Amino acid sequence: MPGTPGAAALDPRTKLVLLLLANLMLFLHAGAATQAIMTALFLLPLVAAGRRRMATRFAALYTVLAVAAMLDPESLGAPWLHVIPALAVGLGMMLPCLITGAYAVSTTTASAFVCAMRRMRVPESVVVPCVVVIRFFPTIAGDYRRIRETMALRGLVSGRFAALRHPMRMLEHVLVPLLMNAAFVAQDLSVAALTKGLGRSGVHTSRTTIRMRAVDWLFMLACAAPLALDTAGVIG
Amino acid sequence: MSVVDPVRVHGVSFRYANAAGAALHDVSLGVRAGECVVLCGASGCGKTTLTRVVNGLAPAFFHGDLDGSAVTCGVDAARGPVDRLTPLAGSVFQNPKTQYFNANTTDELAFPCENMGMPADEIGRRVADVARRFDVTGLLDRDAFRLSGGQRQRIAVAAATVLGPRLVVMDEPTGNLDAAAVDDMRRAVIRLKAEGVAVLIAEHRLAWLNGVADRYVLCERGRITREWDAGEFLAMPAGRVADLGLRATDLGPARSRVARLKASAPAVGGADDGALLRTEGLVVGYGGRSRRASPLRRRGRGERRDAFRRAIPDMALRRGEIVGLMGRNGAGKTTLVRTLTGLSRPLSGRILLDGAPARARGLMRVGFLVMQDVNQQLFADSVRGELSLGMDPSDGDLAARRERLLDDLDLADVADRHPMSLSGGQKQRVAIGSALMCGKGLIVLDEPTSGLDRPRMERVGALLRDLARRGAAVLVVTHDEELAAGWCDRVIGMSS
Amino acid sequence: MSDSTAPRTTPENPPVASRGTRLQVPELISIGVFSALYFVMVCVATLVSTLFTGGFGSIFLPAIAALISGPVYMLSVARVGRFGGITVMGMVIGLFLFVSGHFILSFAASVVFPVAADLIARAGAYRGKAPLLVSYVVFSYGLTGPILPLWFMRDAYVASLEARGKDAAYIDGVFANINMGTFAASMTAILVCAAVGGLFGMRLMRKHLAKAGLA
Repeated sequence: MPGTPGAAALDPRTKLVLLLLANLMLFLHAGAATQAIMTALFLLPLVAAGRRRMATRFAALYTVLAVAAMLDPESLGAPWLHVIPALAVGLGMMLPCLITGAYAVSTTTASAFVCAMRRMRVPESVVVPCVVVIRFFPTIAGDYRRIRETMALRGLVSGRFAALRHPMRMLEHVLVPLLMNAAFVAQDLSVAALTKGLGRSGVHTSRTTIRMRAVDWLFMLACAAPLALDTAGVIG
Repeated sequence: MSVVDPVRVHGVSFRYANAAGAALHDVSLGVRAGECVVLCGASGCGKTTLTRVVNGLAPAFFHGDLDGSAVTCGVDAARGPVDRLTPLAGSVFQNPKTQYFNANTTDELAFPCENMGMPADEIGRRVADVARRFDVTGLLDRDAFRLSGGQRQRIAVAAATVLGPRLVVMDEPTGNLDAAAVDDMRRAVIRLKAEGVAVLIAEHRLAWLNGVADRYVLCERGRITREWDAGEFLAMPAGRVADLGLRATDLGPARSRVARLKASAPAVGGADDGALLRTEGLVVGYGGRSRRASPLRRRGRGERRDAFRRAIPDMALRRGEIVGLMGRNGAGKTTLVRTLTGLSRPLSGRILLDGAPARARGLMRVGFLVMQDVNQQLFADSVRGELSLGMDPSDGDLAARRERLLDDLDLADVADRHPMSLSGGQKQRVAIGSALMCGKGLIVLDEPTSGLDRPRMERVGALLRDLARRGAAVLVVTHDEELAAGWCDRVIGMSS
Repeated sequence: MSDSTAPRTTPENPPVASRGTRLQVPELISIGVFSALYFVMVCVATLVSTLFTGGFGSIFLPAIAALISGPVYMLSVARVGRFGGITVMGMVIGLFLFVSGHFILSFAASVVFPVAADLIARAGAYRGKAPLLVSYVVFSYGLTGPILPLWFMRDAYVASLEARGKDAAYIDGVFANINMGTFAASMTAILVCAAVGGLFGMRLMRKHLAKAGLA
């Protein structure tokens, strides 16, 4: 049930801090050891949230990248191979951001997300479009499927590589119905939202309650520590 | 009397901005607490506009000029923002897909409370309470996109009621529901009346309101021309109701004819009886692989897209024949027609085209599916262009065939207009025209008459007949007993 | 058909600049709808860019996104048509990019460029062709955020070579050239692609959406 997050769930604001920490690490060029420690730490909440398969995949990917980064092209006598370890280093740096992002996206309900934004005093003019974005993604997926099916039935730009041979025509056929429908749906959503009071002035509350608990603070601290030590030159 | 009637509309005229004529002329209507009033009449008669005036959407959102007075639950609905009415009047709209603001059902029920600024525990109490009263507790905390149309409408009614309004306004709430879901809707309206809520319903389908509605109001060209109390209205002979352009108030005759059409479905003949398409031991469905494809999480547990399997009794579709496909939501009708048109693969069994086993690609070439939402089936910038889109322009016969078809489908007047600027019925005909231009032999229509008044439903029926006469096999998926009874040669019933 | 009752009113075009200057709920909802579409376009662009450029996925992301998102942008502007619309759209996209694990500077870029784009479009009252096109080009630079980490990647690789006691100076030189070159190519590609994409968007607007009465 939402509103009563399990013991394993972190507050959305903690997730935001984790994202920021991951970004900060990218920014600060943390050393390899710090990076490995932080990555391991970031994987913990994923495991706690029951996303074990996702965590395992990320861990495996990180290991592969770490090994690839150790590749020494010069000793192999092929300088052009530098592209592989360079790529591995780069992706390895990005991975913590992706892990924290995947954690935030896959474990936050729309309701908790909205509640967190309201608690952080994000203006309603940003909150409302964000709710609509979440609401509208499945509609886009459904519309796209129906458009492609009709194109297949009518033999329009169908077949292998059709999208490559006529990219602009294909884009037009897909985009026009998508855009038309978007305009219609925007109107219907507006009508529904207005009658339900979305435009009311005054405070808008949330059915979900979010709360920073000890585990949130502790985990934030645990993740911030290696980074701080790295910057101070203790590890790295 | 200290309590004012929830709806008091006096001498209201309304003209939409940018519209030539007025949508309402000097209309007066009152609805008392606990009373259910039905607005009926042809499409475009002004009944939707009247509901918009009552719930404050016109002129606050649908801009225009309003004369007269419209007082809803004691608030002047004609002035000021719509949301002053939020706690007083709930609204339910036709399209269950687009009246949801939230992707999650509980979020949707909580949404009006959140906008009123209620604390979380009170929101929880109200949501639980309204869910219990409208029997949707089992639908809480679900992905609204995975619910059936009927389930969505039940949630929509509950969401319109969660703030305890004195009035609920419904604009064609059963547009697209099967018989069982319409019964649920009926129970919900009875519940509202029992709680003393006034209910104003604009609706084409009338039979489900028998014994629920207290008064019927007929709109014609923007005016209220007749009013009956329930007794008088239901006593009218069927022919009189039809003359008024209204749907039947008694579906009994249509239902028994459908039952006969189901029973008379002929045994499937041999492979050489000239059927365009026949199925043998067909099992349709989709696999049970779980799929997570959402930007923000939508609940993990129990969210798996379940495997779905349905064995289909052998059937045959012949040229020149209109076959109805009926059955409850979830019986697999959509999956079946998708399989017959090659959009889905059968799980087992086979489909024969003119006696030879066909693959998906072959079925796709022969069949066409006119979807419920035809908006996603039109691509060109004119009706004429739509019909010949993607065809070889060097074909000399093409233009002649196209012009003939434009005439036949009554689209010649709008041939140069953009398809998306047309009415729903015209769009439907354009989609069918595009299929005929491709030389499709099997035309499948998914709920072609949902939300249509009687004259429009009859036009669709005539169109089906015309398609059959041209030699197409027509398969129509429908909940509309009147359409099936009036126009289908056979009906295949699917049970779940 | 679900929509064939009461001849479906064409979506109301909110009258420009009515009721003060604040964005109203219907406009915010339109912004949300078009932001979702734009975000999907960005995802498509990421996919295509990754397909064509191998691992350095995001380097041509902004250019490809600019090429295909013109119609979304043009319709969004036509339907909102008020100051703040483009800005909020940029912020929402930036927020979603950040939350889904993109570099934080994506968010900064998604605010700065859209504000500029908003101002430019306003100079043409959200209708002038040339200002709209320029506005779209500027808006498209808002997506440069996701490619900035490439910059850090080079530094990081050099650092990791140094850590292993390699002669980094030579490598540094090689990578600097490559990166400067690709960077310039990427920036130019955005300019060209955004211009083409913007014109394509305007053409679709004329051909379809205006004709259907939606814009």
